Amino acid sequence: MYVTPERSMKKSSAKTPKSPICSPRTPGSVASRRSLRFSSSPQTPKSEKYKRNNEDSLENTGSSKKCRRSLLAPEKTPSKRPSVAPATPNPPESRKKRRHASLKAKKHDKKRCYYKKVVYDGVKFEVDDDVYVKRRECAESDEDDPEQEECRICFETGSSLMIECDDCLGGFHLRCLRPPLRKIPEGDWICEFCCAMKSGKKILLPTPPKGKKRQRTAREKLLSGDLWAARIERLWKEPNGTYWLKCCWYLIPEETTAGRQPHNLRRELYRTNHVSDIEMESVLRHCYVMKPREFGQANSEGDDVFYCEYEYDVHWHSFKRLVDVVDGENDEEAGIDEDWKYPNDPDCDTEDDSDFDDDTLGKFSSQDIPTHELAANSRRGRIFGLHKIGLKKIPEHIRLHKPTDLERAKSLLLLAALPKTLPCRTKEMEEITSFIKGAICKNHCLGRSLYIHGVPGTGKTMTVHTVLKNLRAEVDIGRMRAYNFVEVNGLKLASPENIYRVIYEALSGHRVGWKKALSILNERFSEGTKISKEENRPCILLVDELDLLLTRNQSVLYNIFDWPTKSDSKLIVIGIANTMDLPEKFLPRISSRMGIQRLCFGPYNHQQLKEIISSRLKGIDVFEEQAIEFASRKVAAMSGDARRALEICRRAAEAADYRLNQTSLSSKSSTEGKHLVGMDDVESAIHEVFQAPHIQIMKTSSRLSKIMLAAMVHELYRSGLGEVIFQKLATTICSICSSNREVPPGWDTLMKVGCKLGECRIILSEEGAKHRLQKLQLNFPSEDVTFALKDCSEIPWLSKYI
Amino acid sequence: MASEKTLALLRRRLCDPSFVYSAFKSSPNGNYSKLKFLISNTITEACNNSVLLLGPRGCGKGAVVDLVLEDLKSELPEIISVARLNGLLHSDDNCAVKEIARQLCMENKLLFSKMASFDDNSQFMIDMLRECGLAHKMIIFVLEEFDLFTQGKQRLLYSLLDAMQTLTSHSVVIGISCRMDADQLLEKRVRSRFSHKKLLFTPLTTDDMQRLLEHLLYLPTDSSLPSDYLKEFNSNINNILSDNKFKEILDLLLAADNSISNIQRFLYQAISSMHFQTELLTLDDLKSAFSYHQRQPMLDKLQDASILELYILVCMNRLESREQDSYTFNSVMKEYKAIQDAYKTSDNYSKSVCQRAFEHLIERELISFANNRLRNLSVEYRPVRLLLSSQELYQSLKSNASCPAILQRLLNYETYR
Repeated sequence: MYVTPERSMKKSSAKTPKSPICSPRTPGSVASRRSLRFSSSPQTPKSEKYKRNNEDSLENTGSSKKCRRSLLAPEKTPSKRPSVAPATPNPPESRKKRRHASLKAKKHDKKRCYYKKVVYDGVKFEVDDDVYVKRRECAESDEDDPEQEECRICFETGSSLMIECDDCLGGFHLRCLRPPLRKIPEGDWICEFCCAMKSGKKILLPTPPKGKKRQRTAREKLLSGDLWAARIERLWKEPNGTYWLKCCWYLIPEETTAGRQPHNLRRELYRTNHVSDIEMESVLRHCYVMKPREFGQANSEGDDVFYCEYEYDVHWHSFKRLVDVVDGENDEEAGIDEDWKYPNDPDCDTEDDSDFDDDTLGKFSSQDIPTHELAANSRRGRIFGLHKIGLKKIPEHIRLHKPTDLERAKSLLLLAALPKTLPCRTKEMEEITSFIKGAICKNHCLGRSLYIHGVPGTGKTMTVHTVLKNLRAEVDIGRMRAYNFVEVNGLKLASPENIYRVIYEALSGHRVGWKKALSILNERFSEGTKISKEENRPCILLVDELDLLLTRNQSVLYNIFDWPTKSDSKLIVIGIANTMDLPEKFLPRISSRMGIQRLCFGPYNHQQLKEIISSRLKGIDVFEEQAIEFASRKVAAMSGDARRALEICRRAAEAADYRLNQTSLSSKSSTEGKHLVGMDDVESAIHEVFQAPHIQIMKTSSRLSKIMLAAMVHELYRSGLGEVIFQKLATTICSICSSNREVPPGWDTLMKVGCKLGECRIILSEEGAKHRLQKLQLNFPSEDVTFALKDCSEIPWLSKYI
Repeated sequence: MASEKTLALLRRRLCDPSFVYSAFKSSPNGNYSKLKFLISNTITEACNNSVLLLGPRGCGKGAVVDLVLEDLKSELPEIISVARLNGLLHSDDNCAVKEIARQLCMENKLLFSKMASFDDNSQFMIDMLRECGLAHKMIIFVLEEFDLFTQGKQRLLYSLLDAMQTLTSHSVVIGISCRMDADQLLEKRVRSRFSHKKLLFTPLTTDDMQRLLEHLLYLPTDSSLPSDYLKEFNSNINNILSDNKFKEILDLLLAADNSISNIQRFLYQAISSMHFQTELLTLDDLKSAFSYHQRQPMLDKLQDASILELYILVCMNRLESREQDSYTFNSVMKEYKAIQDAYKTSDNYSKSVCQRAFEHLIERELISFANNRLRNLSVEYRPVRLLLSSQELYQSLKSNASCPAILQRLLNYETYR
């Protein structure tokens, strides 16, 4: 609990279990939502309209405002932080951008000087900081920018405890309230005025004493539209000495076309793609706009903290989530991504790229619709028009939805949800790590190659990715050399030769034909010519589904495995495929270059599968212990495919959820209590996954098809052959029918029935034009037919023939 | 007037799959509610899913998907975009990816270029999935004739299912197939990525069939038709549905093919033959529709064959019953001449006329060449086979009034050598 002299917020640690979690459900942020603030409003979704803000109710308003204008130094706050450097609220995500900016700062333009940091008026501004910007028409000067909020009742800023209303965000002294509060209440608190307003009563807000104007904090001004917030994109000094900045605006919900939506948080802002240049003069001071995850953890930035999850397109009036909300996991891809997401035009020289690509960026974001649009699907990497995609309104169900335990379990069991740790593959991980580290050591880099094989779903690709992620972390702290990482999937290439193009594009950002790419890559890897400036780095090439690259003369594979053997290549190749003996299928010259380093990912056994499942489900108690055990044993016996095991569990959870839904629909009263996913659900899920549905189809098929199947089994058994000719079958059916007092069907009807069965592949048949000479064959073992038709109530005499 | 309106109404109903299948909307164990639950759950949980709908043709796989998508689109506007592919049209990966890009461009009002390569399009697809995921939009891929997508390297399925392994994309892949072994056709790495959810569509049970018939045939009480007519019509339908004769007809109809589409066709036929005078659906209408439905195309083809053609067929049948499996036009001619010599019938034609008749029989597929190998040989030397059985031939000769009596006797080789 932060108790500050001027004001303390109630600590909202009260967690009633039914509290809806107000933050939008993004799968990635599940973990972060356990932070205190996010689970604190004990309200039903209905009354939640204005409740939503409680989570962002800023616990400690004045506690540590680290960056303030010189004049307004308030009384000392017991803040633990040194109040010198502005803490940028978003450290991890902006690493690469900052690198970008520092590059720019180094470059001295004739006219403008770009900076990464600027100290202006004694305050340090950095690229990627968020600031308040003065709105011109609202000519409130700096002087009445209070750092401290005053009490709404007595209009004093005192050193006694204050409480913040969760609705209007107004501050109140505890002692000024009627009745006065002793301590900060747990949970939500709404001031009396808001209570009254809600119940429809008119109430007079206390007016400030004469001569004293009610002061509003910058936060209030911003939220009421009298200030702007913006994010600094670039900083520079004009030749005349004035400082300018390029900034990207934030919008408050009221300023969007959709207006304030019921799920908007009180402190929510939208980032726009509207960029403009402003003078440093108009910047007021720092504020902190945070991503949901940071917001969940933030607690000491003061009153000027805002929440931003969506981007708002000012031209199309549509919303879209900000990218880094979702991918915490995509870090390792970012390395390549940034290379080609905004690639330079191939025809412009690479020298002045930093300016150029910013201009193209600006073109997309700031200008209106380009004069002649390019097709959206035309050029890889440069996508035109994708920014149009967005929702006009953020759907409520996404942010108001509170996941039940079952749903959380389901989302954790998703194949896409990568777990933080990878159980059961430590040995392999170590091996890969030591392989890569052995290759990239000190200043030289040995070319090496590794072949990884294993059946699908044993975590091959994921393990490599995890290793690379760990290594990236090591690179960041400087314990390892930086390297490039290129990932290629054999099945996603249009043709095997395209791999050259993809590799080259990943390394340099240019698009060329594959022949040109091959010659350049050859130059680079065999002769050591550099493609671009930073290409001295070693390069790790991950080729997934390696067997797809097998061409007739195997030249692609030859090249790929030949490069690492060259002395200057600095290339490490990791190939992944399913079959164990793939290298033996290669020409000898390739397999000899490939080396003998192989790594086998065996199928998971049932203990490992169980561990994988239960490690994902940690903390959620919806699965019965035996159910997991059963599923993992079953899958281990069948294939050892972890994906399969996860899918089965998810399916079982889904079935339980569906059942729960149905019962609650019918009985109208949701039965309280635990709803565990039991053996039955797992059983039925396994049944669905592993069982072909043909028996069910046979059981429900039409009368004549049943007779036909039975006759077929009979005929096949009698003749001992694998197939039967239609003519023979038809005569058998007719004789069977007449001996059982059934009207014998016409041959044309039988033909039709046979075709229907053939369509479902219950029998295999030749084309119907052959008519009487058509050969028929059962597609499933005859025991299945016997099983399906044995006790058929409709035609009891059928069992005689099977 | 009223009957015309009724006719129009009933016809419209029978041709509208969404009306037909709305009969089973409410049942909790129906595929409709299961599929809807699955997709709407996927939307609320913002995750990915894949499901396979299996069942024989005419059981409403596609119709249920349409129904679900329509409902969800009206419930959650703007959120769902659908890309539909058909295995018969887009089994080639290149063309399928292009089609997906085209449909996504259309739906989002983006400019589409026909020139884009496979790489461009698949990259566009993945980018699109990501952007749509960021905007909380869901892309639903409906792959009809799913089994045909499994030909080749299955690149499309792999890239679709692999794109679903990321958190950013929100998509559902719905495969529709009538092959029971459709999921076994997937390559193992594709199969590992597929969720193995299967919804099975089976033909209706008797109770459901009764319900469907009532749903289809009863006129709505709140329509603009005169109320006494409505009453009369509905009570008439009630009579018919409880009539035993109707039940017999229905049983016979369903014995061959118990799919819903078969019922739809049958009822359409019956309604079309409804009389304007009586203004009511009668049992006779249903009977005539049933007899129309039970047409035997092979026998019908025989009905209007000429006498000479019948002779040729009988000759071929005699050859076959002599266990002579391979025969050509010339050997048939030899048999024909032998018969003519022995019995001196009036139907003795020259060889060229016989050849014309023979070719005509080939065109009508009553007989066919035994194999495709000797293509450049002239017709009379190529081995042929009879496509009719002797029973069928016998039946049609008996029912054919203009058929000479000797032919029927000749059919049996054993008695007339």
